[in-house]
Amino acid sequence: MAEMQVAEKGGKGGKKRAKKLSTRVDLTPMVDLAFLLITFFMLTTTLAKPNIMPVVMPEKDVDEETAKATKESQVLTLMLGADDKVYYYEGISDAKLDSTDYSAEGLRKVILDKKDRVRQQFPDEEKEDEKTGEKKYYSKMSVIIKPTKDARYKNIVDAFDEMKITNVVSYVLLEISDKELEFIKNPAGGLDFSVEEQVQAAKQ
Amino acid sequence: MPKHKPKRSNPTIDMTAMCDVSFLLLTFFILTAKARPAESVIVDTPSSISQTKLPDAGTLTLLVSKEGKVFLDMVGQHTRKYLIDEMNNDYSLGLTDEEKLKFSIAGGFGVPRAGLKKWLDASPTERNEMDESGIPIDTVDVNKSELATWIHRARLAQFEMKKQGVVSDEYVIVLKADKDTPYPAVKRVINTLTDINVNKFNLITTMEGDPNKLNAIEGK
Repeated sequence: MAEMQVAEKGGKGGKKRAKKLSTRVDLTPMVDLAFLLITFFMLTTTLAKPNIMPVVMPEKDVDEETAKATKESQVLTLMLGADDKVYYYEGISDAKLDSTDYSAEGLRKVILDKKDRVRQQFPDEEKEDEKTGEKKYYSKMSVIIKPTKDARYKNIVDAFDEMKITNVVSYVLLEISDKELEFIKNPAGGLDFSVEEQVQAAKQ
Repeated sequence: MPKHKPKRSNPTIDMTAMCDVSFLLLTFFILTAKARPAESVIVDTPSSISQTKLPDAGTLTLLVSKEGKVFLDMVGQHTRKYLIDEMNNDYSLGLTDEEKLKFSIAGGFGVPRAGLKKWLDASPTERNEMDESGIPIDTVDVNKSELATWIHRARLAQFEMKKQGVVSDEYVIVLKADKDTPYPAVKRVINTLTDINVNKFNLITTMEGDPNKLNAIEGK
């Protein structure tokens, strides 16, 4: 290198060479840009897929002979009311109306509390998971969700969500009956709801 | 003895390889990205702990707006073409071939059958300005309910396409509603579905932390 420089300085007759420009381009900003775009596309593709919550509705035509009756003491009925309030009662014959909200301290506690009491009377069903072979316990408790006309969509999703969180497997979305609406208005009157009336209400 | 000078290395790194890799990845993500289809109406879905993702199979989306208007959207150009042909014949909608083609590539719609021709003739910007009243639902007679007919026919069309080998899956029914949609509006749609024996469907929700898992992480 040094020799070459000397030669260039001293040599008059030396050929004038075009200065060779470096062909290197700084690619750092390009890489920056590329990674920024990668991040953008990665996030938009994975986040574009919405989450879903599968729902199975009861069939319209229920065969009364094959339908299994559930014991009153296993049932918790939730009635979703206006202003994010949940009214609930247990069983039917000596039902007492109470209300709560959708928070972790509210509805979840009510369900877990009922679940504990059901477990004492009816031991949890033990089933092995088909895939993993893991033992799982299913509560025999049933929850009936009945939204009133003042409930909003979010309330239903929240109620379904609580079922999942508290691991209640048997729950159903049903139409609310006039008797129950009356019960919300006048809790002291009690719920006079015969089996025939329940079947009729469920069919509506 | 001369002092030992540490050799100064050039701080620039050759970025060419990194550039190659990043652009390769970029190309991959651009090609796999799916354009988000235009929504008929913007809804704010409620959150849930459900982690299930929407399957890649064909979806039939029922959109219920805050006001309770119902919009219908389904994927699959071939299915839509078949569906609109059938609907046009059976309900004499009077659509031209051009309008049918428009339907097959359009997105969600929320107009009564009688107004479909006008809706298809409108340009996308005009459609946004049009007052879409939603698909009418007859809660008493399921045979008269336009929504029930559309869903039923769309499923049949998809089934036919599956038979022909154009598509691989039957429709997955998806219900998407705003969190403030009143329950009666949602109920009408759910009842329509159960009336035509669709007892399994999915609710679209946004993600929310699962309290059980959060507690496990916190060590409670």
